[in-house]
Amino acid sequence: MNKSNLIMTAFNNAVKEIQYDKICMVSDIYWDPLLIPNGIDFFHTPRGRAIPFSAGLKLGNPKLKVAVFIGDLATIGGNHLMHAARRNIEILVICINNFIYKEIGNFSPEKFSSYSKSERPFNIPHLAKSCGSIYVARWTALHTKELTNTIVEAFNKSGLSVIEVMSPGANYFAGIENSTKESEILKYYYENSEIKNNEETNNLDIKSGKKIIVGKFVDRKRMKFIDSYNAQLSRILGDKFKRYG
Amino acid sequence: MNANPKDVFSGTYFIDGDVAAAYGAAAAGCKFLAGYPITPSTEAAEAFAKLAPRVGALFIQMEDELASIAAVVGASWSGKKSMTITSGPGFSLMMEGIGFGAAIETPFVIINIQRGGPSTGLPTLTSQSDFMQARWGSHGDYEIIALAPDSPQENFDFVIKAFNLAEKYRVPVMVMSDECVGHMTEKVVVPDASEIEVEPRRIYKGPKDQYVPFRPDKDLVPKMVKAGNGYQLYITGLTHDEKGYPLLKKDFRTNPRNSTAKRLVDKIRKNKDKIIETQEENLEDAEIVVISYGITSRVAIRGIEKARKYGIKVGSLRLITVWPFPDQMISELSKKVKGFVVPEINYGQIAYEVERCAHGNANVILVPHGGGSVHNPDDIFEAIKKAAKEKKKYDTLFEFETKLARLVSKEYKK
Repeated sequence: MNKSNLIMTAFNNAVKEIQYDKICMVSDIYWDPLLIPNGIDFFHTPRGRAIPFSAGLKLGNPKLKVAVFIGDLATIGGNHLMHAARRNIEILVICINNFIYKEIGNFSPEKFSSYSKSERPFNIPHLAKSCGSIYVARWTALHTKELTNTIVEAFNKSGLSVIEVMSPGANYFAGIENSTKESEILKYYYENSEIKNNEETNNLDIKSGKKIIVGKFVDRKRMKFIDSYNAQLSRILGDKFKRYG
Repeated sequence: MNANPKDVFSGTYFIDGDVAAAYGAAAAGCKFLAGYPITPSTEAAEAFAKLAPRVGALFIQMEDELASIAAVVGASWSGKKSMTITSGPGFSLMMEGIGFGAAIETPFVIINIQRGGPSTGLPTLTSQSDFMQARWGSHGDYEIIALAPDSPQENFDFVIKAFNLAEKYRVPVMVMSDECVGHMTEKVVVPDASEIEVEPRRIYKGPKDQYVPFRPDKDLVPKMVKAGNGYQLYITGLTHDEKGYPLLKKDFRTNPRNSTAKRLVDKIRKNKDKIIETQEENLEDAEIVVISYGITSRVAIRGIEKARKYGIKVGSLRLITVWPFPDQMISELSKKVKGFVVPEINYGQIAYEVERCAHGNANVILVPHGGGSVHNPDDIFEAIKKAAKEKKKYDTLFEFETKLARLVSKEYKK
């Protein structure tokens, strides 16, 4: 069982349910062509630049719906996540949190930092919320049905939504995983999770010996980038200004 | 195709090079600009931001240059003509995106108003030291096009030219202007829309299921589609085949039909003759040729005039397209002339290219300048004088060889 398959199953189902013909999917690092849903356009960007690329795609043609897959604890290009959230550009960010380059691990067996255990991971929902994201949720990869519903819901929001998906990373992360097998880790995540919708995001740290809190945490309204851009310019330029997008 | 009259602000202006570049971008049909402020290019972005609502374009200040270039590539795939404006330090950050753009054959324009370097360098002063970076900055094999304007009017003209070349060859095109041109205020004529030629995007129009994203036309450039139109694109920065799928086998380079890697280089190299533009003066009888580009070509005029007064037969070759490099032309010139003089505001970049093309047939004298200001024309004049005095390297070598041959034959006769 491959974790990417699980998440992509959810994404596939969501895309089928939305029935919109202008969906683009953007990722960085690596993605298997076979996992991409039928009929949508896929862009594989340099590592870390998936979010600004999709910002360009979305702002270039505001009719598109764009889903971005990032990973790796939002480290490389983390800045772009913050600023896209601040601007509230209408894209859906799915952060597959595997805590380390496990995706590359499939390619080549070496691991970059074998002792990263000492580092503390981001509280991604809290980060996203404080930067201004309008929709924030977290699930584990085994919560396929919930994940599907969340993706469908997030796709219809007008602003930046962030969904964090917990999926197996290296077995030494935070010492909470006792097995090296992906399926067992998946199961471990699933069984150790606790659904708490609308939980305060500062309680969502992932720590050893603590339950992983999943659910939908933020669902609010904020003016999206294009709207505030148009509002600002029409305020200054008056009737002369023709709306963008 | 002519430019859209709504995008062209026809008239005669007294503006600086930065603003002229913005007018050029608008006239070329640029509809998306993502950038990050950096001296001395800020005025160009500011001017475009002002024009943007009038031409239906979007201007966005991104969080950094890495994001700017990624957004520009993205916007280009959404169907908009897009560009970014920057200077040295920002240009360094953009290298990643330039490689990506070249790999997935995305048309976009980068205006680089060069300033002194390395690092933070000379933020408000001129330089021409980014030319090698423009060509080789990102890792891997790819080709780009770079133009060197020498006046605000050319900033306007070349930005339009850059957009046309970008769309025609699906390649990032760089307008390598510099602080001196950028901040120079001169007369700029924005012609009527009917006089501006604009290259439309090479859009694929056949049946949807038969579209192959990277199958080239006869001129080695493939047709493009917009994202979100149901073509099921798979676009990747990995080495890919015609369909766009990753090609990670060892033998991809030996299978030219499948690999786009070689074509990235070939599509520019094989269309070189159509791309390269130069400006020649008095080359017919020239013994010395001054090869210059950008602002230096204007400074060189005075040095050349002075040398001609002294009776030295000097010609001038100005590079409008610096990349791809006119190697064939310089190679042929080198057989006729005594020497080349290459003034540039750096410590030697294009001079080495000229040396490569001269094949040792003619001397190449570099006139370096550390940046911050332009050359003193007398330095160029002195270099021309020096070149006129010196014999051809080839001649000396030939004489030496004949002497050696005579000596050897004498020895042999003994």
